[in-house]
Amino acid sequence: MKVEISRRRFLQGSVAMSIVGASAVSATNIFASEHDSKKHVVGIPDTITTKTSTGKAEEVPFLCAICVNKCAGFARVEDGIITKLDPNPYFPKSRNMLCARGNAGIQTLYDPDRLKYPLVRIGERGDGKYKRVSWEEAYNAILNGTDKFKGILQILDEEKDNRSTIGYCNGEGLSKEGFEVLMGEKIGTPNYVDEISICLETVLGGFFSTWGTYGEADLNNADYLVIAGANRAEAIITPDTLDLFKRSKGRGLKTIVLDPRFTNTAIKADRWLAVNPGTDLAFVLAMTYVVFKEELYNKEFAKKHMEGIEEYKQHILSHNYTPEWAEKLTNISAKNIYKTAREFMAARSPIYYQGRRSVFSNNDFQLRRAMAIFQGLSGNMDKKGGIIYGEKLPLPKEDINAPIYGQALSRFDGKGIAIPSQKTGSWIQFRNMILEGTTPYPVRAMFMRKHNPMAGVPNTKKTEAFLKKMDLNVMIDILPSDTTMFCDVILPEASYLERTSPVASYGALEPAIVLRKAAVKPLYETKVPEQIYKELAEKLSKPLWENTLKYDEDVQDDTEGMSKKELAEYYKENGYDLAEPWEKSVTEQNEEKIVSTYGEKAWEILNERGVYYPHIEEYHKQININESEYYPENKKKYTTQGDKLKVKCNLTNLTKKGVDAMPTWSDDMQFKVPEGQFRLVTGRHAQFTQSGTTNNLMLRDLVPTNYLWINSRIAEEKNIAFGDTVEVKSSVGEVTIKAYPTEKIAPNQIFMLHGFGGSSAEMEIAHGNGANDAIIIEDKIEPVYGAAVMHDTNVEVRKV
Amino acid sequence: MANYGMAFDYKFCINCHACEVACKEENGIDLGAKNHRLWIQEDGNTSGDFWNLDKDKVQFMQMQCQECEEAPCLKACPNGAIYRDDNGIVRLHKNLCDLTMACMHACPYGARYVDEKRHVTDKCIFCADTRLARGETTTACQITCPAKLRYFGDLDDEKSEISQILKERKHFTLKSELGTKPKLFYLE
Repeated sequence: MKVEISRRRFLQGSVAMSIVGASAVSATNIFASEHDSKKHVVGIPDTITTKTSTGKAEEVPFLCAICVNKCAGFARVEDGIITKLDPNPYFPKSRNMLCARGNAGIQTLYDPDRLKYPLVRIGERGDGKYKRVSWEEAYNAILNGTDKFKGILQILDEEKDNRSTIGYCNGEGLSKEGFEVLMGEKIGTPNYVDEISICLETVLGGFFSTWGTYGEADLNNADYLVIAGANRAEAIITPDTLDLFKRSKGRGLKTIVLDPRFTNTAIKADRWLAVNPGTDLAFVLAMTYVVFKEELYNKEFAKKHMEGIEEYKQHILSHNYTPEWAEKLTNISAKNIYKTAREFMAARSPIYYQGRRSVFSNNDFQLRRAMAIFQGLSGNMDKKGGIIYGEKLPLPKEDINAPIYGQALSRFDGKGIAIPSQKTGSWIQFRNMILEGTTPYPVRAMFMRKHNPMAGVPNTKKTEAFLKKMDLNVMIDILPSDTTMFCDVILPEASYLERTSPVASYGALEPAIVLRKAAVKPLYETKVPEQIYKELAEKLSKPLWENTLKYDEDVQDDTEGMSKKELAEYYKENGYDLAEPWEKSVTEQNEEKIVSTYGEKAWEILNERGVYYPHIEEYHKQININESEYYPENKKKYTTQGDKLKVKCNLTNLTKKGVDAMPTWSDDMQFKVPEGQFRLVTGRHAQFTQSGTTNNLMLRDLVPTNYLWINSRIAEEKNIAFGDTVEVKSSVGEVTIKAYPTEKIAPNQIFMLHGFGGSSAEMEIAHGNGANDAIIIEDKIEPVYGAAVMHDTNVEVRKV
Repeated sequence: MANYGMAFDYKFCINCHACEVACKEENGIDLGAKNHRLWIQEDGNTSGDFWNLDKDKVQFMQMQCQECEEAPCLKACPNGAIYRDDNGIVRLHKNLCDLTMACMHACPYGARYVDEKRHVTDKCIFCADTRLARGETTTACQITCPAKLRYFGDLDDEKSEISQILKERKHFTLKSELGTKPKLFYLE
């Protein structure tokens, strides 16, 4: 490992110059890297890629967190440096594979732009001026503020201990729950928003309310697949991606793809149906019509398991949802709708794939319901080749002693929403109400972790104004994201390769427990999230308790006349000691959970292999050097429900909330684009996750920027050629981006990858590279959960 | 001692580039699209307009050194820097390479590139000085692949998985008309 091309030199040489507007590293910039080309820093490789050696190495099991999927691997550690990430052959979910991003996780760990020290803002919000401080100073700044911003104690004093004045948000991951415990249960605010309401809320809701589960599609054994709104070749989900493409194209799993775009999944499909955005519901209703009209459904299954089937049949037939009707709405020919419906019901094991993110249109909840019922009509549920309910290996839950705060008020963002989530709310409505000043009480602080609403929540301009409106913003993260740059106190977190995380249980068909162990020590002054929660809780606990004593009449009544000792006992017994959930380390808690449930041997196996399930030593067999069998065929959890299985067609209780009890089409759902405009669709691909990976050197090498897909004939009319800069403008904002004219997209639609166009000057690779779709996506919510609608924005495009 | 080769279930490829990143990280290959021991080639563009898109020609091909039995690069090197190792892999004596680039011009597969760090030409060597040197019997690209489309093994061992597969399944080699006799096989 000799010094050859250093990280920083590489940036200066080949990237910084190519990014217009990339900032020079100024002398005051304390985000900048310590390891320039001249200096070797212990624990950090000198070169971007490091050749693995033939010498001694440690193999540490880890669980990937470069996206939300969770693949298992082993980190190869040589002299305290991770030189390679290899897949873990023991985990049934990811089956000995790591994708491009998983392999590139090393570059996130050693990213020169990482947050390295606690920082406190000394300039104005957004100008990037920070002071490096100790952890103690950072915690003090959160508690007491500085001359630039107020601390949490003053805010809670001014708000008379209304804990709900603190909002918090958090991204997906194994340490998410701990942050929810700290902010929600212990500090006691209900005002939480996370990725659910900007992701798959309607998907989960639709399937759970219809099937009682989201389920797992057994693509390894199915023989017919309709996959819509899910691009599994480019948005990798395991084991689905692994199973699907081995079996499509005449190899046993006939695959029908619905997508407005010609994606890599469409390339691998047996049939591609270019559906108009937001009209999948009409397609499913018309297929359902064919199935009822021609009596193609599994009557025995329907009679036994489908509640409200007769009403639904009546509903579909009386509305006349014919394929001819749907053809005009969807852009899919009636012929193809008949054909797909008939083939589906004639197949042995057909699956209408559930999909995942995102909420594409206003009718997404009803779309998922219609899909779930359609699947039910085939009877291919709770069995091999169908939708699997399966099993999950239990893990004991910790008991949290949550204090009660009399002054805390309830959350407000459910207004006008049919079934608002009490836990995770609606990001857009939460933000917009605060911004508009229509909340019943002020929300004055945001505690954020691993979450970048500037890139994730539609209408970035509003998010920026929202962040600026706060009295206090705190961020726990690994990189200086766009959102981080609007924060007052920044706490640097250890990345997933530097921390041991709470054990997790995954899987339905082949359940397993998986462990992430720290492969290397936290770099710089970063800390693992659970340690940050603990220390922050210790710092805040007593002063916040004093504030409760000052304002909370219930607590005052309870504690009247108590001695100092009694008061201390009351504080402990009633959960006001905020740090109590972290008395034991993550490893100690993991060991306790595993040993008490599965025994000492299980803990040993889990530590060695990173994976455990009962009988793993007996069940796990290598088929060849590259592939394994995880459970014997007769031990897989294909069928677990029996008579309990219910498919609910008619949810009459929804009517009271103003939601259709059965999926219904209405005219306002039509796909309409005004003349001269385009419908914006966005998505992901296999080399980037979201804004979190845009600063990854290796991945940037594979996909240098995001392009605007625009139909080539339209581009020609507009005199737009490949690589030309164009402006894309909606009612809420505009971005510039390079054009990619192609026939893989319809003339009235455009597409761009999500996650690019970072505004944080502290992320050199991501900064100013491409366009951030959140700037132009209009902030619309669907009516059932208040989740963000991502594909309902029309835009104008012009060459600049 | 072995005679290593590789076979590809090339139709399984979803163009995810996991192989490419795994290779670069394992073998310390420089960043930059032109610096690669292996790459995925997108063949057969779509034709026609959106409403009548002819899409069936599109496919993704796994490209890398074909480990020719009659290797043009080996014959072309004026310095005798290229040799075949005990495992049948075409290798390079780095100290003898002075970047005449004759091997690059001779290779009909474009498999070689200039390694600017070491000032030599480089190509896929089946992880010979990393994984194989440690006694492992897989390549980085092979184990990481989500589609599990790569088979690697000893072609001289009749019982090896790759030998069995080549016996059972139809396959072809790239530019077979050149007589280079590649040891990389694409399975139909």
